[in-house]
Amino acid sequence: MSHDFDKLTHYAKSFSELTPEREALLIKVGEQIKPKLAGITEDFYQHLLTIPQASTFLGGRIESLKKTHTLWMEGLFSGPFDKTYTEHMYKVGDVHVKVNLPVEFMAGAMTLINQRLIGLIVETYGHDKEYCAQVLVAINAVTGMSLLVMQQSYQAASLAEELEKFLKISGMSRVLFTNLANAYKDK
Amino acid sequence: MRSDMLVSVLSDLSGTSADIEAAGVISTDGLMMASVLPNSMDEDRVGAMSAAMLSLGDRTAQELVRGELEQVLIKGDSGYVLMTYAGKEAVLTVMAKPNAKLGLIFLDVKRAAGSIAELL
Repeated sequence: MSHDFDKLTHYAKSFSELTPEREALLIKVGEQIKPKLAGITEDFYQHLLTIPQASTFLGGRIESLKKTHTLWMEGLFSGPFDKTYTEHMYKVGDVHVKVNLPVEFMAGAMTLINQRLIGLIVETYGHDKEYCAQVLVAINAVTGMSLLVMQQSYQAASLAEELEKFLKISGMSRVLFTNLANAYKDK
Repeated sequence: MRSDMLVSVLSDLSGTSADIEAAGVISTDGLMMASVLPNSMDEDRVGAMSAAMLSLGDRTAQELVRGELEQVLIKGDSGYVLMTYAGKEAVLTVMAKPNAKLGLIFLDVKRAAGSIAELL
């Protein structure tokens, strides 16, 4: 299935208010923040291990997940937040569906990440309240954009999976399903 | 040419009983090949819905261990819809009045389905 990632990027940014100024700010603070992200990842996974429903998905691959996670977090402070970034986040959503991760895990994980980033930003820039607030808003914007894209992908992948099941159960071919849908398009 | 022959089979079928209101030959993908339908009926919808119902009927017969599917019959207060395979790649759908004599219609539809299968 092909997607218009430019359009999705624009859509996600319209909700998250990730403006060019905020993108530039994220990249600017990246130099100081990136070296501390491995610690956030570590803390994030330690917390996930305390949630029984989440820990079952981590077994045996936590170290590789941590590496991927830290790389993604570094991306939050690297940019560009263009269609390539959106496409990547879309694929991340797809992967989550393939491993049957419950949908609420994405919002839950993003909440945990934001909480840890808030702590880090306040610790780093707390002496300048205005600047600190600007950075926090920028981080909220980029994580919000990422979550929105993943949820779009999750929704599309979940629907596709359900459709596959339906076709298998009903014995209908994909062509028949398409013809049926086309027959009921508004005329 | 073949389409004319299919229409001819459908016209003959409709002519056998005044209870038959409409008939169509549809590919198992849901596309209409030939039909004798009133203007009020949408050919695409009749085609796709018939093929979908027959496909579901097929699966139901398998799942509930009823053997090979012979036909799917739907009864509404305004009449019947009868769907049956006409060979492996086509569906014959017939719509009949609510007071139709089903025994005769089953027989005629079976014959017509055989003729259609030969044509295809």
